[in-house]
Amino acid sequence: MGRTLKFNIFRFNAEDPASVPHMDGFRLEETEAMTLFIALNRLREQQDPTLMFDFMCRAGICGSCAMMINGRPDLACHTKTKDLPAEITLLPMPVFKLIGDLSVDTGTWFRSMNEKVRSWIHTDNRFEPGEEEERMDNALAENIYELDRCIECGCCVAACGKAAMMPDKFMGATAFCRITRFMVDPRDERKSDEYFEVVGNEEGIFGCLGLLGCEDTCPKNLPLQDQLAMLRRKMGFSQIRHLFSGK
Amino acid sequence: MGAGLAGERVAVAAAVSGFDCLCLSIVPPRRSHSSAAQGGMQASLGNCAMGRGDSPDIHFADTVKGSDWGCDQEVARLFARTAPVAVREMAFWGIPWNRVVAGKGFYYKAGKKYEKIEPAERAGTITARDFGGTAKWRTCYTSDGTGHTLLYTMDSQVVRLGIEVHDRVEALALIHDGESCTGVVARCLKTGKLRVYLARATLIATGGYGKLYRESTNAVINWGDGAAIALDTGLVPIGNPEAVQFHPTGIVPTNILVTEGCRGDGGTLKDVDENRFMNIYEPEKQELASRDVVSRWMTHHIRTGKGVPGAYGAHLWLDIRHLGAEHIKTKLREVEEICKEFLDRDPVTQLIPVRPAQHYSMGGVRTDRDGAAYGLKGLFAAGEAACWDLHGFNRLGGNSLAETIVAGKIVGEKIVEFLRGGETDFKTSVVHRAVEKVRERIDAVTGSSGKENVYLLRAAMGDVLMDQVGIFRNEADLRDAVEKLQAIYERSKKIGLRSSSVHGANPELSACLRLPGMVRLALCIARGALMRTESRGAHAREDYPERNDRDWLKRTLAYWKDDRELLPVLDYELPSRVWEMPPGERGYGSIKIIASEDPGICSPRPETN
Amino acid sequence: MLADETIPQIRPVRAEAWLEFVQVLTGVALVAFMWMHMLLVASINVDLGGGRVLNLIARFFEASDMTQIGGPLIAAVMLVHFVVAARKLPLRVREQRAIWSHSLSFHHTDTWLWVVQAGTAFIILILGSIHMWTVLTTLPITAAKSAGRIQGRWWLGFYLVLLPMVELHVGIGVYRAGVKWGLIKRASRKASARFETKLALAMIAIGLVSLFTFLVLTKA
Ligand SMILES: Cc1cc2nc3c(=O)[nH]c(=O)nc-3n(C[C@H](O)[C@H](O)[C@H](O)COP(=O)(O)OP(=O)(O)OC[C@H]3O[C@@H](n4cnc5c(N)ncnc54)[C@H](O)[C@@H]3O)c2cc1C
Ligand code: HEM
Ligand code: SF4
Ligand code: SF4
Ligand code: FES
Repeated sequence: MGRTLKFNIFRFNAEDPASVPHMDGFRLEETEAMTLFIALNRLREQQDPTLMFDFMCRAGICGSCAMMINGRPDLACHTKTKDLPAEITLLPMPVFKLIGDLSVDTGTWFRSMNEKVRSWIHTDNRFEPGEEEERMDNALAENIYELDRCIECGCCVAACGKAAMMPDKFMGATAFCRITRFMVDPRDERKSDEYFEVVGNEEGIFGCLGLLGCEDTCPKNLPLQDQLAMLRRKMGFSQIRHLFSGK
Repeated sequence: MGAGLAGERVAVAAAVSGFDCLCLSIVPPRRSHSSAAQGGMQASLGNCAMGRGDSPDIHFADTVKGSDWGCDQEVARLFARTAPVAVREMAFWGIPWNRVVAGKGFYYKAGKKYEKIEPAERAGTITARDFGGTAKWRTCYTSDGTGHTLLYTMDSQVVRLGIEVHDRVEALALIHDGESCTGVVARCLKTGKLRVYLARATLIATGGYGKLYRESTNAVINWGDGAAIALDTGLVPIGNPEAVQFHPTGIVPTNILVTEGCRGDGGTLKDVDENRFMNIYEPEKQELASRDVVSRWMTHHIRTGKGVPGAYGAHLWLDIRHLGAEHIKTKLREVEEICKEFLDRDPVTQLIPVRPAQHYSMGGVRTDRDGAAYGLKGLFAAGEAACWDLHGFNRLGGNSLAETIVAGKIVGEKIVEFLRGGETDFKTSVVHRAVEKVRERIDAVTGSSGKENVYLLRAAMGDVLMDQVGIFRNEADLRDAVEKLQAIYERSKKIGLRSSSVHGANPELSACLRLPGMVRLALCIARGALMRTESRGAHAREDYPERNDRDWLKRTLAYWKDDRELLPVLDYELPSRVWEMPPGERGYGSIKIIASEDPGICSPRPETN
Repeated sequence: MLADETIPQIRPVRAEAWLEFVQVLTGVALVAFMWMHMLLVASINVDLGGGRVLNLIARFFEASDMTQIGGPLIAAVMLVHFVVAARKLPLRVREQRAIWSHSLSFHHTDTWLWVVQAGTAFIILILGSIHMWTVLTTLPITAAKSAGRIQGRWWLGFYLVLLPMVELHVGIGVYRAGVKWGLIKRASRKASARFETKLALAMIAIGLVSLFTFLVLTKA
């Protein structure tokens, strides 16, 4: 305790013609149980009210607050200053469009990702209000939930070397994980080929280099490595099968 | 307005009927506060062994009791009847609800272990867990991420239907001519520019107003925008603003909530000596008594000197160690994560520091049972932002997620009826005036030479509410609180910006635009609480400890008729038209009751319609 | 309108899946070959640089035409592998900058591993081709000829560069192929990485020993 933290924070306001991208230095006394959520709000309220950043749930649940913390993408709200050196460099996440300072537009990115992977249950059934729900094994339900836990924070995309090289196109681990979530769900009637249409390409799973930046930074610790491999196998073999079935 | 569960459910209902709709949201829809709900959603499916025999009737009764007879019983009836369908519909859309597993299982209640047997013929149906204040196990859940899966699934339907969502857009004012509402004036939080949205029907689904309070479990954007905007019209009242619920277990210091599920699964509360105390205050329900009751006893216990002293004030302990590592790491994983991430504590071996914090706003934009707001045609409200009035003076855990979905469904269908029922005239003069007014507000702030600091004022307001309009209330404190809030309101007109430039979505400017509305809302809460000289549900007056059905079986309606006023105008109405269940004992939170003398209320009446 | 009522007729493009398989299979085939090759070359150590065992083996492969057919075949596989894997290489300057600055700021082992793999790939392409060309155009392979090359200064430097490049590329390649296709799971990743490191180091060591033997003990 009792450290003085030095923050280097990226600043740029695209709406201000006088603004140029640069780094600003701030000093702040560290206090007990301080997180970057507490620290950044103090900076805004006490030192520079123009500082832009995003927080929402401040509990690591909503995925609003991802940023590059000393080079690594992570949720600012669950990062304790105690675990960081006294000098802290904060940058906005790459790939996503910058709004200002540390704030990036993840909303538009994720909406388009969800549209691209058609991230909803595809079924020809109609909902019957009077009928009992379709039964499901609890273990399967928990398995689906495990994959449904992604909070769309974007860390896996910011951590991805492929996305760095292909910023407007590469789908990112979050999309792959989302697809496997629907693949394991028996309510979704899509066939392998329909999934292949979406991810069986260079922008999709075959573009993934297996760098595992995603796996190593996902703040929700989703099983990305194993899901990505599963998706690659499924997508790869689904096409081999065509060879033998002659279609 | 609002792309949380309630807003999106309404949008889906409208889109399915072929109407064009558009959601505004301050944050991307999936980040809405609904995602933070961990515990679960109530619906009387009665699938699991401990929920056997459950029915909408019992759910209805629990809800009315929970509300301390402050709710609208027609609404509660409609709600309890629709909830199971809503849960199944969500399952159809893809929620991985936890399911019944056949065979023997264990559960904990008040620290003791019990056995239950799930019969094979129900295996695979949607199961439920125990939650405070219910007669049966009725809370459907997906591990510890119910709100998350609900919101993601709901948004998946929004994406499927191609419903447009404009995120990072903050509604600032309603466009209305004194009779009908025809849209909103909003500010883009990417560019700072003003926008006009015209609509034949406008919905307020902006969530709760917890962030008025210093200590709240709510997300940082729960400022009560929707209520403030409605209040601003001078025509639309806020129902029961004083009905504010506190949650017993916010962690210290950040007030992140640890779910009711902890206590539902058998977690216990302990004091400085690591002794339990809820078993003394509430021998029957113990830790599972409803939230207001538990919060109140916790505060009481801390006041008797049994709190654990700490750097952030006294707190108590939550103990879930006896549930075992496996249970904690699977069923309560989010709790474990919270403790490790934010407290550096391991709940498997260590106690969790907790204290009550503001949690839920039962009050909100007053609507009829179709979701239509009082005072303006074409204006609707749903979800936590509304006072539909399902919760009366206390919301049961799990009833609010259920409300967002159920009300969303019902109100959505009613809006469709409304849209099919007539035409709307858009008057450019009205639009123009609304925009001008907002622009004046902005100019007043940017051109101000005032010295007041918006953040300090906001903090001052939070302190007043927390300390004097908190869990226990009394006349002296409330009077003082009203005066202090009035002073803050006056000062809020002299705010000066400290930002060097206000290009783009300057966050300080946003805060400045918002603050006056927040203080007006705070004044409604304090004033409403001051006038209500009884204790009911979450509203606990130390100087009037009895529930007074004779004089106070009524709902507060707070109007803000004029900008220059310093107080809301309070009006009252009967909480319910039908009294299927006449006021009686709740069975917990022992309290004296002054009975109603109205024969129309005291005798049970069959359900109408 | 419900969007899922308008699902378009699906016509997947299978080429991507094929290329992906080709890449990993050629990679693994090359690895298998490299390890064999490494062991065969290491046979020089068996008789302490005498070269009898190596010559015997070389003669066997040539007599059975395996060198004449296998050599160009390997070259072909390498070419295919190169063509397919080159899709992944950052060829535009913008991309190179992006991955480089990403790697520099994002202190992350696996990302660096890939950068190393991509870098070594370029070097192997050039040096490997030279090596193969030289060896295959001056058949038969004998211990003396090899030793003669290695004892020349330039060639020693050449092999001292090529050896670790190949082993790095191979070691990383095997690990990454395992990760990408799921042979290496989250649970086994750490252990696999450790094993791969050891394996690569062992291979480099064997290679160095062989080079040493050629350099000092074998008569040219
Ligand atoms: C920590 C926590 C845990 C909870 N757990 C449970 C639980 O287990 N069970 C349960 O039943 N309930 C629970 N609740 C309550 C429940 O989560 C909420 O009542 C419910 O989610 C509210 O949903 P909503 O759709 O009304 O609002 P929200 O989900 O809050 O959505 C509000 C929306 O309005 C938008 N908005 C706000 N202001 C504006 C504006 N000015 N302009 C435009 N858009 C705006 C926001 O961006 C957002 O999209 C919990 C609440 C908290 C705080
Ligand atoms: C001709 C020169 C070579 C070039 C240009 C080259 C290039 C590459 C590249 C760029 C990759 C990375 C592909 C990716 O990340 O997806 C790769 C992967 C790989 N390479 Fe090579 N390589 C060459 C020679 C070799 C040789 C000689 C071997 C074996 C001895 C080899 C074995 C591998 C393996 C096993 C992989 C991993 C396969 C995969 O990721 O799918 N390569 N190569
Ligand atoms: S494994 Fe794939 S998705 Fe993940 S960081 Fe690497 S390239 Fe990106
Ligand atoms: S997969 Fe993980 S890192 Fe990526 S968006 Fe989801 S939660 Fe964030
Ligand atoms: S603020 Fe929600 S995840 Fe950090």
